[in-house]
Amino acid sequence: MATKDDLERFRCQVTRPGDIDEFWLDVLTQLDDLALDPRVSPVPLRSNEDVDVSLVTYRSLDGLDISAWYCVPTQGDGPFPAVIQFPGYKGEPGLRRDWGRKGVITITVAVRGKLRSSQQFNPGYPGVLTHGIESRDTYSYRGIISDCVRGVDFLLSRAEVDTDRIYASGSSQGGGLTLITAALKPEIKGGVAGYPFLCCFPETLEMLRSYPYDELRCYVRAWPDRKEQMLETLSYFDAVNFVSRIECPMAVGIALDDEVCPPETSYAAYAGLTCEKELWLFPDSGHGNAHEYTAKETAWLEGQLGLISGQGAKP
Amino acid sequence: MTTLDSMNSEISDFWQSHRENLQVIPLEISLEVDSFYSQPEWTVYRMRYTGLGGYRLFAWLSVPLAGGTYPALIRMPDYGSVHDIVYTSLRSQAIVMNPTYRGQRNSDVPFQAEYPGLLTEGIETPETYVMRQVFADALRAVHALLTQQVATVSALTITGAGLGGSLALAVASQCPTVMAVAADVPLMLGHPDILGEATAYPLGELNDYLRVYPHRRGTVLADTSPLNPLSIAAKVYVPVLLSIGTRDRGQCPVAMGEELAKRIPQCDLHIYDGAGEGGGHPHNVVRGSWLKGMLGLN
Repeated sequence: MATKDDLERFRCQVTRPGDIDEFWLDVLTQLDDLALDPRVSPVPLRSNEDVDVSLVTYRSLDGLDISAWYCVPTQGDGPFPAVIQFPGYKGEPGLRRDWGRKGVITITVAVRGKLRSSQQFNPGYPGVLTHGIESRDTYSYRGIISDCVRGVDFLLSRAEVDTDRIYASGSSQGGGLTLITAALKPEIKGGVAGYPFLCCFPETLEMLRSYPYDELRCYVRAWPDRKEQMLETLSYFDAVNFVSRIECPMAVGIALDDEVCPPETSYAAYAGLTCEKELWLFPDSGHGNAHEYTAKETAWLEGQLGLISGQGAKP
Repeated sequence: MTTLDSMNSEISDFWQSHRENLQVIPLEISLEVDSFYSQPEWTVYRMRYTGLGGYRLFAWLSVPLAGGTYPALIRMPDYGSVHDIVYTSLRSQAIVMNPTYRGQRNSDVPFQAEYPGLLTEGIETPETYVMRQVFADALRAVHALLTQQVATVSALTITGAGLGGSLALAVASQCPTVMAVAADVPLMLGHPDILGEATAYPLGELNDYLRVYPHRRGTVLADTSPLNPLSIAAKVYVPVLLSIGTRDRGQCPVAMGEELAKRIPQCDLHIYDGAGEGGGHPHNVVRGSWLKGMLGLN
């Protein structure tokens, strides 16, 4: 099990490309120029007395249609605060109806490659992590991160959303995407990143053999001469290279026995945050299975949203 | 009222029907080396075989590099679209198979499952209820593993979490070749008590369905009944390592897990202060060591 000293001693070797801000500004500009074309289809089967559930689609980078579950409270007068949740690497996004009773909208994004967003892009799992990795302009995560950005744009376009109170969360890949999206979208007012993936790519090649990072090792084994190019591409998508841009409060949860996302690499992302931040370390816990994580995530978000008794609503 | 005898007869008929139907379908196994995902210590194969109704199924199979005779571990798939080639150091010493069921990725032609959605797909009749076929797909995986020609299986152990835990127990009840089972938070699909508003996903899908179709409660109970882990527990004669979480509301609520453990003749039950993650990391350690022992590995 890693200790806090191990985490603090760890030195991430990721280099920040000199033109990373320009690269992402170009992507964001392309997204701004693209019509969102939102469509909202009610799903009575998944709706209940607390929540109206819809399947949403919106247009993202390269013209792909992206799906998301959208849960809107049935009670109370809007506009409602919202939580956008980003998915893990291989799992499908679930419905977060639990927030509806608290008067909070949730949207859970099926980034490209997930079942409901796979018509035009479907490398499969394993596969997504190395798809198009030959160039930053073809890499899968250029689109996946864009899909998250567009999820925030969708919320910003909705009359029922209190656009001053949009929060983000996710675990594993969703944790990495929470950090990166919060850096790219200042409209996010706070976020929780659990067991974040997409951190310190070069180190992960040496630190462990588990999937999904092992896909990168397989790639290097197949094409050793492409390793430098691969790392060059990854540097534009490494969460560590985004976190200094985040201005909103963030909480990061790390399992000290994480066998999928090494705790040192997640900690490097946390250490790079210059915003108001909170760290949760979970001893005797592995990837995604700290018993206390969900309760802490919920409590932190409730605090930010002003839902905990005794705390006033945040502006 | 359903008597124990009629329930046993129903379960017996369900599995006998699956066995008879599978027996007349050629397995048509194909194995293709996947050099990209193979490792220095083991070879990875993309394995395909035919299941119920002529459906082509996919599995990841790894075999230690030297080939020959090895103990085998089947990792049954959980409730979700992806069943990947997750890393385990056991692969250097054992044959490891990760089979998928119909509707999962790589086994999604012609049927692509939805999540949520699969738990009620075709539930209108027993013949169309896909989850019944999913259990046959799990049984078929054992047939395929024992029939393939790239390595010889010396002993077979099965593991799985959630739906994978239920599939592992069900298959063990039907296959005398299985030596041991490690099941985590087995999905209690078929247990009548899960039909309540407090149940979380994935079992909560049934409540979504009954909210829209309340008059079909009897159909839901009847179609899921043979899949209830309690119904086959007494026939799992091999050692079982079972883990559950006290806060689990969506897969194996603790009272049902304890009931299940009582019915399994040789059950080592571990209860943790967890939810859907069950025992989490501490149980991963327990299970890893237990599996190594069952597989006869150092």
